[in-house]
Amino acid sequence: MAAPVVSRVRNLTGSSSERIGLTGLVLVGVALLAVGARWVSGPIALVVLVLAALIVVGFITLAVLGSPETKRALSPYGLLKPGSLWLAIFYLAPLWTLLKISLSSKETRFAVFPTFTWEFSNYGKAFSDFGPQFTRAFLYAGIATVLTILIGYPIAYVIAFRGGKYRNILLGLVVIPFFTSYLIRTIAWTSILADSGPAVKVLDTLQLSGVLEFLNIMQDGKLINTPAAVIGGLTYNFLPFMILPIYVSLEKIDVRLVDAAQDLYSSGSRAFRKVVVPLSIPGIFAGTLLTFIPAAGDFVNAQFLGNPNTTMIGNSIQDQFLRQNNYPVASAMSFVLMAIITVMVIVYSRFFGTEDLA
Amino acid sequence: MNAPKRGFSRRELLIRSGVVGAAGLSLPAILAACGGDDGGSGGADELFVENWPYYIDPTEDGATGTIDRFVAASGVKTTYSEAYNDNLEYFAKIQPLLGTGKTIDPDIIMPTQWMAGRLRKLGWLEKLPVDKVPNAKNLEDAFKNPPSDPTGEFSLPWQAGTAGIAYNIDVTGRELNSVADLFDPAFKGKIGMLTEMRDTIGLLLLGLGINPSTVSSFNDAAPAFEQLEKAKADGQIRAFTGNDYMDDLSLGNFAACVGWSGDILQLQADNPSARFVIPEEGGTLWWDTMVVPKGAKNTAAAAKFMDFVYDPVQAAQITAWVQYMSPVKGVREELAKIDPELADDPLLFPDDATRARLYAFADLSDDVEAEFEEAFSAITGA
Repeated sequence: MAAPVVSRVRNLTGSSSERIGLTGLVLVGVALLAVGARWVSGPIALVVLVLAALIVVGFITLAVLGSPETKRALSPYGLLKPGSLWLAIFYLAPLWTLLKISLSSKETRFAVFPTFTWEFSNYGKAFSDFGPQFTRAFLYAGIATVLTILIGYPIAYVIAFRGGKYRNILLGLVVIPFFTSYLIRTIAWTSILADSGPAVKVLDTLQLSGVLEFLNIMQDGKLINTPAAVIGGLTYNFLPFMILPIYVSLEKIDVRLVDAAQDLYSSGSRAFRKVVVPLSIPGIFAGTLLTFIPAAGDFVNAQFLGNPNTTMIGNSIQDQFLRQNNYPVASAMSFVLMAIITVMVIVYSRFFGTEDLA
Repeated sequence: MNAPKRGFSRRELLIRSGVVGAAGLSLPAILAACGGDDGGSGGADELFVENWPYYIDPTEDGATGTIDRFVAASGVKTTYSEAYNDNLEYFAKIQPLLGTGKTIDPDIIMPTQWMAGRLRKLGWLEKLPVDKVPNAKNLEDAFKNPPSDPTGEFSLPWQAGTAGIAYNIDVTGRELNSVADLFDPAFKGKIGMLTEMRDTIGLLLLGLGINPSTVSSFNDAAPAFEQLEKAKADGQIRAFTGNDYMDDLSLGNFAACVGWSGDILQLQADNPSARFVIPEEGGTLWWDTMVVPKGAKNTAAAAKFMDFVYDPVQAAQITAWVQYMSPVKGVREELAKIDPELADDPLLFPDDATRARLYAFADLSDDVEAEFEEAFSAITGA
């Protein structure tokens, strides 16, 4: 009974199968995006979803019943489906909604749904009212990223080259703090760094407070609720994200390359600079992205370790969303944050070369 | 009697999220959670009360808490939650539901009086079944028919209190008595302010000699906002906090802060250095109210609960633990039997002279309130 279908399917040439594969992928993706972004709703949304499901079923049928060439032509699109459909419904659709809300305005103060009005002034407000918070977010995240490289690189180096049989234990120690919640780890610092807490006492006993005050790490005898505490918290919380990628890239390095460099009369430090560091650049690059991007949007550290003059853009976005109910401006701020980060990452990857990442 | 109660809130949060996670493992629980109409108090004799943290006497040290006494007396199965942490945050949470005609799970929530007024104006509250709350006659006259609820049909006060100056005498080294002390350069970086706009701005207004009960436009209150902005820019203010200011005060991070009377009375049991004063310029008076959200499933059980806690014998138990002003007549006499010292505390039962120094914040019009909130949020730096 299925024979005619099968024979027709077998007759498909590779290129037309590819066209079918691509069309199916795009159609299903757009369908999910349409439902997720609420372009369609109610019964129409149901119809769209059923159509999308039918396309997927048809696609699978084609792939299963088709000739080996059809299978080969279709399989990449099949494999792309879970990932791209996930992106369509859980990334593109929310992004679209966010974009739309960022150009909306609220008709009344407590309106639940903002009305889309091409309200570009939301973006103006995001820049004019929250400039310092943007600046601080990128400044603090940037300093914290540099610090995580300075602290994380030696740790990763020791684990990779001197770890020996303790390598796994050492790596475990890096990851162990993650067994506790991010929030708890950050709040723990508030007791450690409190004015009457252990850290301040030790520093006072060692007469180091003056030096730290001079370095602006302490302010008016406080360790906590200072910019340094916020940066320190970011550094502490994101350090493992720097250590692990650097470790992975160092661990791949063939030690004989260093030996070869030394055989050719390179000093140890020169071999490190000319051989090890260049080979570990992909790790630093990945670690920087994993650290800088979330740190720039972080609000937890600034909230618990900072003061009213150290708030970052994440705090402002959270406040606008969750306390002021100002979804349009909050969305615009989120978009500006995303845009700035994207530009920074593109520029950074131009200079640092991503082709090594693969 | 009073362990460091507020300190446990985060642990409780974790436990609660753990419970939610565990419940999420079963599909019916997920579906029930998504239903919205199918929350904790579906049945005829079930009640869901959502209140601020540490705001009722729990069952501990051999004493039976108010909720358990209520369950025993009424047979109503009661869920008591402490998820009400901040007026604005809670409003943001319920707005998408009540604003679109859906209902929320709790049968009773306890917004501060001004927020109750906002909810009433939006039409998000049910009228209280006053005829089923005979004990409502015990409501103190001072709380009758406030501007937030002129007919008194939508809200019943839960507890009242004052915002004044809380300080740690170990750090200040002296007694404080004036709002101006919050701006003493000696305490630079050791001053806390509340994120509750009306309490912080209200107190600063009093310090500037402006009556917060009569402000009607932003210009009336602008000097207080300027003062706050300047103190923030100068680094005088260490943090804007919610309920968590007690930790900072106890640890000595705050020398002084704007605080709530009952909190400090509770804190003194653990930390005798904590002090509270209604400054000479005056303090703010606020109260939280019991209201029934629109569409609540069990108004009858809600009425039973309100009637129960308006019985002076029961109300005195709550007062003895939370140490705020009770809006219930006859509590003082009942409290004298439990804790005579508390019954004479001027913060719980202010005399006429003290009462004259307490000011409720004016009932702001919608637009003016929006202006106030925007300006305040810009300063708190969020």
